[in-house]
Amino acid sequence: MADEAKTPGEMRVIDDAEQRGRTELWPFWRRAYAQGDPLPRFVAPPGRPGHQFDEGEPLPEEYKGLLIKMLRHEGERAGNKSFLGFMATCLDLAEAIAPDAEARLLKAEYLAEELKHAIMFHRVAVGLDRDFALRDVPYAHYAFHLPRETWLDDAYFHFFVDLNGAFHSRDWRESSYLPLRTMAATVERDELGHSEMGYYFLAQACAERRGRQLAQALLSKWYPAALDMFGRSDSPNAPKFIQWGLKSVGNAEIRQAYKAYVDGKLAALGLDLPDERKRRRFL
Amino acid sequence: MNDIVEEIRQAYAAVGIALDQPATYGTYYRLLCAGCGKMVGNVGDRLLPSMARELVAEQFDLYAAGLLGCACGHQLATVRRTDPARADAARRRHGD
Repeated sequence: MADEAKTPGEMRVIDDAEQRGRTELWPFWRRAYAQGDPLPRFVAPPGRPGHQFDEGEPLPEEYKGLLIKMLRHEGERAGNKSFLGFMATCLDLAEAIAPDAEARLLKAEYLAEELKHAIMFHRVAVGLDRDFALRDVPYAHYAFHLPRETWLDDAYFHFFVDLNGAFHSRDWRESSYLPLRTMAATVERDELGHSEMGYYFLAQACAERRGRQLAQALLSKWYPAALDMFGRSDSPNAPKFIQWGLKSVGNAEIRQAYKAYVDGKLAALGLDLPDERKRRRFL
Repeated sequence: MNDIVEEIRQAYAAVGIALDQPATYGTYYRLLCAGCGKMVGNVGDRLLPSMARELVAEQFDLYAAGLLGCACGHQLATVRRTDPARADAARRRHGD
């Protein structure tokens, strides 16, 4: 029989593994947060009802439906085989087109962290609805399906798409659903780090003339998709999410904050910003 | 095969890239060089209608300039055969 007193808790084991994985670069969030809070704060409208629900408590039907809808979009669940499939494509791509071994290793660190999220969101999903926890939900948004033919495509994917996750996680810090609020800071930090990983590869490419040419050309593919990920500005569900405390702000407001953030980072690389309305599918 | 996948297949065939069998539960596909068979990327099947056709067409100049495509040069050769004048212009513009 194992001596429980000598067996570290499972979260401590994960924490220890993460600590030992630290390098000068990884995790990328360290440098970002060392310079201050990199993300904007989202403030809920005054007078909103102060709902708060914990795992196991009965949830209003509309609230539960919206929460599940939100977690379907998020997707990082161990019981979601399409998420695990998507992770496999990341390794497959790295094997085929990563510029060097360091890049492949960084990609593996990214995957390790996403799989950690899959455990965390799985727990939330099981506590919410066991059927949902096992539901296969392929990513629906086209940003997850854009062709990736160079390491720069992959860099843009991480810079933009993982940053979308960081912004939403930032908002979850104030979520009325306590299990989500509890893990929000960790997910936000990790996703911001994944975005910074993409930015690191982007900056490397932009240091050379042809790399910058390619980055400029591919930006017109990724930029509209990134802005589209926040959905329609007039989404009828947005006020419901805000009212129930599942979000603080609407799609237009979070998109605008995100756009200000990415525009600053892209301009710092000397890239020309695309017209924000060009090629957009969800305004 | 759904319409989007067929659109992706046709769009990439025009530049010398083949769509492999579905991987990972049918949602994502490897892109293979039609010349040498090497994997050159991947794509998912939830693009919106006409998106694959537009994206690949807009990448014509990048294949022509050697900024995209397999190291074996198959896509570069393919787009030069398709439209030599545009391919040469793209190569000059990108300083290859």
